[in-house]
Formats: sequence, C-alpha cells, structure tokens
Amino acid sequence: MATIVGPETRVYPDPGTPRQPKRNLGKLMVTWMTTTDHKVIGNLYFITAMAWFMLGGLMALVIRAELFVPGLQVVDNPDQYNQMFTMHGTIMLLLFATPLFAAFANALMPLQIGAPDVAFPRLNMFAYWLYLFGGLIAGAGFLTPSGAASFGWFAYQPLAGAAHSPGLGGDLWVMGLALGGFGTILGAVNFITTIICMRAPGMTMFRMSMFTWTVLVTSILVLMVFPVLAAALFGMAADRMLDAQIFNPAFGGAMLWQHLFWFFGHPEVYIIALPFFGLISEIIPVFSRKPLFGYKTLVFATIAIAALSMAVWAHHMYATGAVLLEFFAIMTMLIAVPTGVKFFNWIGTMWRGTLVFATPMIWAIGFLVTFLFGGLTGVILSSPALDFHLTDSYFVVAHFHYVVFGTVVFAMFAGFYFWWPKFTGHMLDETLGKWHFWLLFIGFHGTFLVQHWLGVYGMPRRYADYMPEDDFTLLNQISTVFSFVLAVSMLPFLYAVWKSFQTPKVEVDDPWGYGMSLEWATSCPPPRHNYTTIPRIRSERPAFDLHHPNVATMESPEPDKGVMEELLGGPDTDQAGRKGTETGGTRGNPHV
Amino acid sequence: MMTMVAGAALLLSGCGTALERGYMPEPITEDGPAIITLWNGAWIAALAVGVLVWGLILWCMVAYRRRHEDQALPPQIRYNVPIEILYTIVPVLMVAVLFGKTVEVQNEVLSSDQEPDVTVNVIGKKWSWDANYIEDNVYIEGVQASGLSDGEEGLFETLPTIVLPVDSRVEFVLTSRDVIHSFWVPGFMKKLDMIPGRVNSFQVVTTEEGTFTGKCAELCGAYHSQMLFRVQVVPQGEYDQFVTDLEAAGSSGQLSNDLNLYPLYDDPQRKSFYPDEDEGVYVPGDDERVSQGSN
Amino acid sequence: MNVEIKLFGLLIPFFAVMTVIYAWFTGGTEWVGIVGLALTGGLCAFVAFYLWLTARKLDERPEDRLDGEIAEQAGDYGFFSPHSWWPLWLGLASAALFLGVAVGWWLFIIAAPFAALATLGWTFEYFHGEKAV
Repeated sequence: MATIVGPETRVYPDPGTPRQPKRNLGKLMVTWMTTTDHKVIGNLYFITAMAWFMLGGLMALVIRAELFVPGLQVVDNPDQYNQMFTMHGTIMLLLFATPLFAAFANALMPLQIGAPDVAFPRLNMFAYWLYLFGGLIAGAGFLTPSGAASFGWFAYQPLAGAAHSPGLGGDLWVMGLALGGFGTILGAVNFITTIICMRAPGMTMFRMSMFTWTVLVTSILVLMVFPVLAAALFGMAADRMLDAQIFNPAFGGAMLWQHLFWFFGHPEVYIIALPFFGLISEIIPVFSRKPLFGYKTLVFATIAIAALSMAVWAHHMYATGAVLLEFFAIMTMLIAVPTGVKFFNWIGTMWRGTLVFATPMIWAIGFLVTFLFGGLTGVILSSPALDFHLTDSYFVVAHFHYVVFGTVVFAMFAGFYFWWPKFTGHMLDETLGKWHFWLLFIGFHGTFLVQHWLGVYGMPRRYADYMPEDDFTLLNQISTVFSFVLAVSMLPFLYAVWKSFQTPKVEVDDPWGYGMSLEWATSCPPPRHNYTTIPRIRSERPAFDLHHPNVATMESPEPDKGVMEELLGGPDTDQAGRKGTETGGTRGNPHV
Repeated sequence: MMTMVAGAALLLSGCGTALERGYMPEPITEDGPAIITLWNGAWIAALAVGVLVWGLILWCMVAYRRRHEDQALPPQIRYNVPIEILYTIVPVLMVAVLFGKTVEVQNEVLSSDQEPDVTVNVIGKKWSWDANYIEDNVYIEGVQASGLSDGEEGLFETLPTIVLPVDSRVEFVLTSRDVIHSFWVPGFMKKLDMIPGRVNSFQVVTTEEGTFTGKCAELCGAYHSQMLFRVQVVPQGEYDQFVTDLEAAGSSGQLSNDLNLYPLYDDPQRKSFYPDEDEGVYVPGDDERVSQGSN
Repeated sequence: MNVEIKLFGLLIPFFAVMTVIYAWFTGGTEWVGIVGLALTGGLCAFVAFYLWLTARKLDERPEDRLDGEIAEQAGDYGFFSPHSWWPLWLGLASAALFLGVAVGWWLFIIAAPFAALATLGWTFEYFHGEKAV
C-alpha cells in the first residue's frame, strides 16, 4: 500500500463514497500522531504555530499595557517585563514565523510541484516533533521559579551568560531553541530534496510556482544559517552549563556572540519573509486575472535577496563601534533593489488586470501597503550615520514590526483565506474576513506607526518604564489602545474558522475559478497522495491552463526570445515559438 | 498612507520646527545639523518612492477593479524586459546616491582626529554610570534611578549628571564593568555601545547649553530602564566650578577600570585607550562598586 | 538538472568574492564573517558538485524537459511510509536528551538508550526480508 505507482495510474477509492472515519477522538489522535502525510503535518504546524502566535500576542498585550502610563503597574518587577519581551520575540520569530514557513511549505509545496508527498515523510514528522518539543522546552521557563529567559531574544553575551542570568529558564531557552532549530534544518533538507527530485514531468524549474521557488531559496538559507545558530547556542549552553569560556568578554566573546548570532539573525529575517512574498506572488495573479508579471526577474530577485542577506549581518551592530560600516551599509542598501523589483512585479501583475477584491486579495494589498513602509524605514536604518541615533530605539521596533508583521501576518492571513478550501474543504466567510482585515489593519498601523516618533524622540526599546518628563506618555497610550484593537481582530477570524466547518464542503477543485498553480487541479482537500490525475504541465500555471483551455498557453505561442528576454522574461511556457511581444492568450471568455 | 503619515506628523508637531528637523531632538552638537540634513533628505527620498508606489497600487485598485461580473480576461502579459531593467537600474542609482551621502555624514560624525578639550571615560555598570574626567582628574559615581517604577515626576532632577563645558570638543571613552550597555544621549543623535573588554570612543562638540536626558540603550538586565543619566552643558566658568566642587567633595582621582569584571583586551583596530598609561593617568582610586540591584 | 546546478553554482563566486572583500577590509581580524562566508560558499560548492555528479549519470529527466508528459513517470514511483510511530519516539527521546542538558545529566543518561533504540527502530522499520529485525 505504501508503494506509489505512477501518478496517472494510481487507484483511489471512488471519490463519490469517501471513507467515513468513525468519530473517535483516540483514533484521530493516533492518526495524527503517527501521520507521515505532508498535508496533515502542515496542519499540525499551522495549529501549533497559531497557538504560539496567540500566546506571543498576549505577551505583547502585557508589554503594551505596562507602557500605558509611567510607573510599574501590570507586571510585578522589571524582570517579568524582560521575560515578556524576550519570550514574545522568541515565540514570534522562532516558534511562530519560522514554523509557519514549514507549515505553508508542507501544505502547498508538494501539491504545487505535483509530488505525492515530500521526499522523506518520516523525517518531516520528526522535524515537526522537534519543533513542538523544542518550543515547549523553551516556553517551559515560565514554569520555573526564576521565570523564563529574560535576556532578550538575541541573548547578548555576557548578559545571557550564567554569571548575569542564572536560572533554569535561560538553560531551557537555549536547549529548546537548539532542538527546534534542528527541526527547521531537517525540514529544509526535506523541502530542497523534494523540489529537486520530485517534480512532475514537464514541471521545469522555471515553471514552478513562485511560492515553491521561495520555499527552495528559503530552505537553502536555512541550511546556510541555522547550523550557525546551533553552534552559537551550543557554545552558549557550554558556557552556561559546563562553565566553558567561549563567550568570555575578556577575549572578545561579547563581539563573537554578536557576529555569530547576527550571521544567523539577519538571514533569519529573510527566512521568514521570502516564503510570504511567495504566497503574495501566488494570490495577486489569481485576483488580477493575469499571470505573474516578470516571473524570472522575481526568481532572480528572490535569489539576490537571499544571497545579499548573507552579507549584511553586522548592520545590527553598527553601534558596537567594531564593524565595517561602509561594507554593511552598501550591502544592506543593495537589498532594497531586488525588493523593489518584487514590488514593481506585483504592481505589474495588477496593471491592466481585472482586480477582484476577494478577502485574500485585500490581505495581499494590505501586505503591499504595510511592508512598503517597513522597507523604506529599513533603507533609512541601513545608513550608519542615522542608525547611530535610531538603533535600539522604538524606531527599530516600529520598523521591524512593519517588516515582519507586514509580511508574515498579512501574508499568512491572505494565505489562510485563499487556501482554506484546499486545506480543509471549506471556505472562510468573506464578510468576517473583511472585518478581520480592517480591525487588524487599523489596529496594526495605530500601534506601530506612532512608535517611529517615540524612537526618534529617544525612547529606547526594552524599557519597562519611562519618566513622565520624557513626554512619551501620549504616544505610548495611542499605541497601547490600538494594540488592543489589533488583538480583538483575532475574534472574527476565530469565529470564521469555527463557522467554516459548519458550511457545506467545496465540491470543485478550484473555488476561486482562476487558480493558477497545480494545487487547484486536485480536489479540496486533496486525496492522501495528492493527485488522481495530473494535467499536462506546459506553463507556470497548469491549473489555469486546464480550466481555461481557450486562453491556455498551449495555444498562445511564445515569442522568439532575445538574450535579455531569455534571462529576465517569463517562465518556461510552450516551446513552439512564433513572433510577437505579448505572450499568452489575449482575451478569452472567462466562463469556459 | 501618505496622508496618514502627514496627518499624524501635523498632529504631533508642537511647532513647525519639529517638522523641519524631522522630529529629531534639537541638535546640541556640532555635527547634529548634518545628521538632520541627511535624515530629512533620506525621508524625502523615501516618501517620494513611497508615494509613487502607494500611488501605483491605489491606481491599480481604482482603475483596474472588476466593473462587472462577466468581464473578459485582460491581456495575459507575462513580462516586459525594458521596464524590468528600468526598475532595477533606477533603484541602484538611488542607493548609490544615498550611500555617498551617508558616508559623507558618517565620516563627519565619527571623526576623532582632533585633540579633545575634555575627555570623559564613562563606565557603564548595572545599572548606572561612572564618569572619570581624565584631564581634570575627578570622577562622579552614578546610582540607579530606582524611583522610576513609581511613575512620579521629579526623578529627572535626581539623575546622575555628567557636566560638560559648552563649545568644547568632548571625547567620550566608553567601557563597561559587566555586560553590554549603550551610551545614548538622544540630543547627540548618536550612541555607542559599551562592550566589556573593549574600549570605544567618540567625540562631540557641544554647542548648546542646557540639561539633556541620557539613557542606556542596550538591554543590560532587569533594571535596564532605570539606567538613566543627564548631560548638563554649562559655560566654562560653571564647569570649572563643578570640577572644584568635586575636588572639595573628595572626588579627586579616577574610578579604576581594573575593577571591571572582564579585563580590557587589546584590539588591533583601535588606538590605545591608555595613550600615556605609564604616566598613570588612571589612578586606581578607592572605587566602590555600587551594589547591584539596590531595590 | 541544469537549473539546479546553476542555482547553487552561481552562488559560489558570490560568496568567494564576499569572503575576499570582507577579509581584506577587516584586515583578517574578524573571524566569524570570514569563516562563515567561506563555508557558505563551500556548502554551495558541495551541493552544486553533487548535483552535477548525479546529473551526469542520469538521462534528462521528464521534469527537466519542456515537453515532459505525465505518463513518462508511470510505474514504481518510490516508497513512502504510510504512517509511523518512530518519528514521535525519536522526537521524544531527543527532547529528553536536550532537556537533560538543561535540567540535569541524569535525564540525559536515561534518555540516551531510548534515543539509540528509537534510531534503530526508525532505521529498521521497513527492513523486511531474510534478515529482518
């Protein structure tokens, strides 16, 4: 039963009589705990990551509530406050955003390349368990008498060492993250192997969906930097628990840690951003009714961002006075170029399209609008002359929330509303989705926009408190009020999730009508090994070609490409080339 | 979005000048205006790009929205190489300009070739600051602002205060007793980390008299937010009086860096922090470490 | 597999150049960057070389051809574990190992044999035939 024959000859139970599993909780638990199905593992990742997301969000509310007025009211002592932002950062970066990449990659990537599963299904499940247990170990610090880690999520030495931060909480943090990090590495190995070895015939590299490309590039980044994190964490563990002297400041250990951490830390930002750029690149074409504009430049931009991101780590360290300012400044500024290319490609996709404002599209545009501002402040921060003032202030806090929240959370919800039928077989409610969007959008910008001013005025980050004379009070109050609006926005979402399971199942492969990548050519949700039949793949949007044969690429010839067009143009489409500058069909009847 | 930024900007501006300096604190040093010029220029460029891109997005949303249900599919254009090359090259040029400008200002901000009038060795410690006035051979010893948690006014007046003469070149030599701290006077518009084992330094030329706030900007433990200080820039006469007062109060000599938890190490990239070490400028004084976590 | 080889191959010169520039401008004093960038280039070189080696031995795969037909992949596609307990056991054992480092070596020592057992179980789960375990 486990050996899969060729995709088109596989036999599945008649879809008309789906196997009705008995409603038995124990049995369901066993099925989920022993599963090797990438879709179920994807769901496990989703559920766990969302649980952490909400927990991390609650911690953020504690932080915001504490800052509402000068003085200490909400937490008992400043150390508790430090635990809050340390674990908030740790959770959001390493237990929510990074695993969310694994979640979407698991849930979509094998479907998008026409594979029956990932290359190593058991390893896939193992990676999930490492993430789950690693996260629980790191979070278990809250249950210890001295509390959780409180040295900030980047654990600068010597503060995070045994001398300055003793206690089990810190030890658990180190070992939990190390364990979870291995899960991420194993997941990345799995994704790379799957993409290289298990694409369906005709699915050339330049026909892969943009999300699959970002999964590939992200996984490569993971392989490059997560081992560095593991090494740094093991060094830190040795210092804390074996009394080693690796990060002893007397021998330059303080800088050694910062270099190691940010060598991981900056690419990590792109590890959690690139896949979400990929999601956006999937959604915008569908709701613009156009193929992705500038496919190859988008691929190269993704690779360029990843490559450049490896050589910018010390822009987090300008104020140490011990790094090469010009080198890191120019490399950082250069990242703006491929990122800008992506923006213009997304706009090019919408240009002269037919925009349909379904919920996923609204979230995608929310992403564009929000992330753009984060990108612009990022370029400003890349200038050392300005960063000397801005670094470690609320300006940075505002900047990275625009960047990270803007990509991860906006794109995640865009993805949820878009692929929910593919994941569950049900649709999410459009009206609730729009309520959800506007509450979150207003809450988000209200919370974080004002923090730019706070930082410029001189409020350092990670301050449990400030003086009434500082004049930070009003802006902090605005921020706090809106942060609660932001939190409330989860309610319509949770209600929509509950409600979706009360609605009838989706009967068609593609409820959106214009789905492009391959996953829209199988049922919702797909069968155990994904496809009963796979359509012939002749462009980067095989499902669209299948459902709209009148505009399909097969009948819309490719122009003779010059060198530049070969290099920067569209994806691999049909090879029967003819003259013409506009590829693809021109106008077709949408109702076919 | 732009209107949002502009609107919020107007709301928050007490006066027009705040907008003119991009909401930066008022500059109190010689290189402050250059930083503000760069800052404003960077923002104008950034917002111009922002307005262009937000505008394009908005245009797409308005002009290309689906007008009726059975609209035919739009032309299925996949790429346009000249435009793609254009929007790769133009940002490269913009980045090049920004880089050039930023290096210019950076060189000005970091220049420390000239002989300082006053050298202050500020030593970060959990959770306050010690300051050695090298030339005048006096020191001040800071204590933690533990009243911060009460949220009452008046704390600012009690903070440890580094007094500096106006219109003089001041060199800050930064070291740390324990963990990483960061020496930040927002009015200086720059900060520098104090890294255990390392010696960092920067110079400013004071131009404005007044009392300014200073903070630790790098997480340094539980009472990080209580690691506050003030910088008071006064006329030369008052500064001399301040030194005399310190001597009278018995604060002559220097607080030693030998008591740092981690000894300073040689960094080949740095000029020596002890240019005349043999002459014994840093006298190991009767330094008492302020007890940590005093509340 | 041309594109895959190029993807990794083109990153090698990038990291080589970055290593040299970084080493030059830091005067070789900052080792994390130099070693990190060089090893990253090395990683790309390994992967590119392995893919090149593999591609040499293979005919062009249907997924690399523009006109690949789904039917070309008919037949035995590979073995996929339908479900398995071993990832959970190995995951639990690993978690106990790591937890042991943090809370006490006794737990590490207790967990070690379980980790070994889980690894064996995983390895031989589908090891059937004459010499099955």
